[in-house]
Amino acid sequence: MIHSAWLIPVLPLLSFLIVILFLRNKPKLGSLVANCFSLITFILATLVLVGRLQGDSLLREWNWLEVGSTTITLGFEINALNSLMLFIVSFVSFLVNVYSLEYMEGDDRKSIFFAYLGLFTFAMLALVISPNLLQTYIFWELVGLGSFLLIGFYFYKDSARAAAKKAFIMTRIGDVGLLIGILLLFTQVGSFEYDEIFAAVRNGELIGSVITASAILIFIGAVGKSGQFPLHTWLPDAMEGPTPVSALIHAATMVAAGVYLVAATYPLFEVSQIALTTVAVVGCFTAIFAASIGLFQKDIKRVLAYSTVSQLGFMMLALGTSGYVAGVFHLTTHAFFKALLFLAAGSVIHAVHTQDIEEMGGLNKRMKITSLVFLIGTLAISGFPLFSGFFSKEEILISAWTSGNEIMFFIALFTAFLTSLYMFRVYFLVFTGETSEASSHAKESGSAILVPMLILAVFAVFSGFINTHWFGTYLSDFLLEDAQITVKETHAPTWILYAATIVSLAGIFTSYLLFGKNKTKFGESSFSKSPVYSIVYNKYYIDEIYDAIVVKPTRLFAAGLKFIEWFCVGGIMKTISGCIQFVGWIGSRLQSGKIQTYGTIAVFIFALFILVYGVTNGGLLK
Amino acid sequence: MSSSGIVFSIIAICAILGGLMMITLKKVMHMTVAMILTYFSIAALYVLLTAEFVAVAQVLVYSGGITILMVFGIMLTYHKAENRDEEKVSSFRKLITFLSVATLGIVSYFLVAPVDFVAEEIFVGDHTKAIGEILYTNYIIPFELVSILLLVALIGAVLLAKKDKEEANE
Amino acid sequence: MSSIPASSFLLLAIILFCIGLYGALTKRNTVVVLISIELMLNAANINLVTFSKYGLTPNLTGHIFSLFVMAVAAAEAAVALAILIALYRNKPTILIDEMDDLKH
Repeated sequence: MIHSAWLIPVLPLLSFLIVILFLRNKPKLGSLVANCFSLITFILATLVLVGRLQGDSLLREWNWLEVGSTTITLGFEINALNSLMLFIVSFVSFLVNVYSLEYMEGDDRKSIFFAYLGLFTFAMLALVISPNLLQTYIFWELVGLGSFLLIGFYFYKDSARAAAKKAFIMTRIGDVGLLIGILLLFTQVGSFEYDEIFAAVRNGELIGSVITASAILIFIGAVGKSGQFPLHTWLPDAMEGPTPVSALIHAATMVAAGVYLVAATYPLFEVSQIALTTVAVVGCFTAIFAASIGLFQKDIKRVLAYSTVSQLGFMMLALGTSGYVAGVFHLTTHAFFKALLFLAAGSVIHAVHTQDIEEMGGLNKRMKITSLVFLIGTLAISGFPLFSGFFSKEEILISAWTSGNEIMFFIALFTAFLTSLYMFRVYFLVFTGETSEASSHAKESGSAILVPMLILAVFAVFSGFINTHWFGTYLSDFLLEDAQITVKETHAPTWILYAATIVSLAGIFTSYLLFGKNKTKFGESSFSKSPVYSIVYNKYYIDEIYDAIVVKPTRLFAAGLKFIEWFCVGGIMKTISGCIQFVGWIGSRLQSGKIQTYGTIAVFIFALFILVYGVTNGGLLK
Repeated sequence: MSSSGIVFSIIAICAILGGLMMITLKKVMHMTVAMILTYFSIAALYVLLTAEFVAVAQVLVYSGGITILMVFGIMLTYHKAENRDEEKVSSFRKLITFLSVATLGIVSYFLVAPVDFVAEEIFVGDHTKAIGEILYTNYIIPFELVSILLLVALIGAVLLAKKDKEEANE
Repeated sequence: MSSIPASSFLLLAIILFCIGLYGALTKRNTVVVLISIELMLNAANINLVTFSKYGLTPNLTGHIFSLFVMAVAAAEAAVALAILIALYRNKPTILIDEMDDLKH
């Protein structure tokens, strides 16, 4: 089975092509076809994961280009990390496909939506099984394209168009860094292959500064895709897409690509302490920064978006503090509970037709199952004991502590507190308390929406047990088997476990006091007038700052260039073309089509000739 | 001035007068009629040049045939406003044309003025018979070609002037 | 009769030719242009007939040629008028300066 793993990305591509070419106008059939392909993909990915659990890694390559002495290859690779990623991506993608069957019901462009889902899934799966950086980069860009199409799916809305463009451009900034990093490595190593690059790093063929530079450049690409500070602004705006897309982007595909890339090139980061510190600092800062913004947002999807940014910060922090397993572990559990949260949020939005959590309330009476699964997701992300997030977050905290950086550890701990605070804020405001006006007509969603959520809920609860210190570190063993990285034996103080538990519970309790009992609504309280609130509510004015320091000067510069183009270059061009046009105008005047004018000119010239002849030869003047 | 000189002068004045009237008159029909005067004058000139047959042909072909053809042409294309030959041609172009044509005429005259051959009685007797003989002996091929030309012109004119089938159906 | 110099005939021919040329170049009505062209042909004919009487080798060839010219002129006039009528049907004008559909 593992040998035909290349089929996994090919199937969604086929689904995309078939649906977009032949089934555009048949929403029922198109969505069913897409679902079938998605299911087969998922089954294949599961089989590959099982095959990898039993067997060995696999690397297949074919020559693609031969340039001089360099051979560029294409192929696929199955190792522990990417077989796990294949499973997560195809699993979440399949559930999102099922979920969309009902969620997108009635949309005229339902088929196209499913086609785009196929393209997006294809790009992500192909990215994951790429054995070299060049192939990774190609599919990395395709992921960007897929997200662009999906975020801009409601392209008739201005905000969706702007969000799609923003996502494309912001991630492109990171992509440039990634490309430079890849090329830098290529010039030094002469190969795009992961294995060859890692071998070169291990054998000390690269000087430290090159490793550091290329690692940081690759990390810039990851910053763009994973929405880390300072390129995070596109991610909350990407909420303009349909909610299932948000689930897919935020849980399994696009944002995970960044973390995956850092994990896949981890041997490179590992040898450069500067690169690791950069990753850790950026991740740590993003975690608390996004968490603080998420605390005050009113839009349910935006809160989730900022929580995604924050959780991705956690993963980066883990990777930056040598917690390779912790990062990947959190990526896995996060994929499940964040997909669950988004799908549940979609279910709520589907029912109440608003995204403002301060307008919702008391939904747990009307939407029991949604309420239950949202609670599970919230408990998981908050790190409530025995839920999946608890284990993965604990791993991260341990890795932050053992790296010896106490400041980061305490920031991460505080972020964990904030996480449970704002996530339970959402839960309490939306599902408990008095039934608000907007919620009064809400109905529970249909089975196509509920079943994927229930499946995800099971994973959100239990996926943490694949790597615990109590039952066995299966994931860790599995990942480290062929990860080509050195593992430090760590002895985590047991108090971290208690600290994490206490922080989580404290967050939930504070949240209950503030929002469960008193229903504090920031928008209505006097707090909303304080400058702190407005700064945080407006996301620290990051968008405005970017607008002022990047967009405006760029526009001004462009206007200047346009002026030069218009008046200098254009002026010269206009003059030249004007001259030619003038000559042409004269020529066309001569070609008037009036036979008598021609005749007059001919006679005039003839008269001149004959006059000259008469004067010179005919003796006219004698 | 001898008597023939006087006759020539009168004929020449008539011919030029006809031409000038053709140029200056306003109505197209008048112009055409004015041309008849010129044609007759030229026919008279041919008589003066002892070319009686050509003179008769001139009267028949020009005064009779072509003028009538022109009159028909004018009538078939009759259009109130346009049949008055309105003076829309720019005076600048007229001036240029006049100067060119005058130069041409004057220079040509000065070039041909020295030509002064003596008139000879080329043939005594029946001109018509002589012309007929030459036509059917020396010039038989051009003569036949001219007959073909006339036939082609006849058919061509009919074809061109005939209405197209589609138009006729309309 | 012989007292009339050949140059007198030639002068008359030149004058008529010039009038015809002027008319052909300045008149707007196509029929008048055709008439002017006939006048020019007539002027040429005068030359032909003149040189059949005056000249180095006077003979009847000049007469013959003037007859040919007349035949050609008649054919030309017939075809020209036929074209004019065909044109007039498509575009109701006989002003020669408006028949410029082939310009540019």
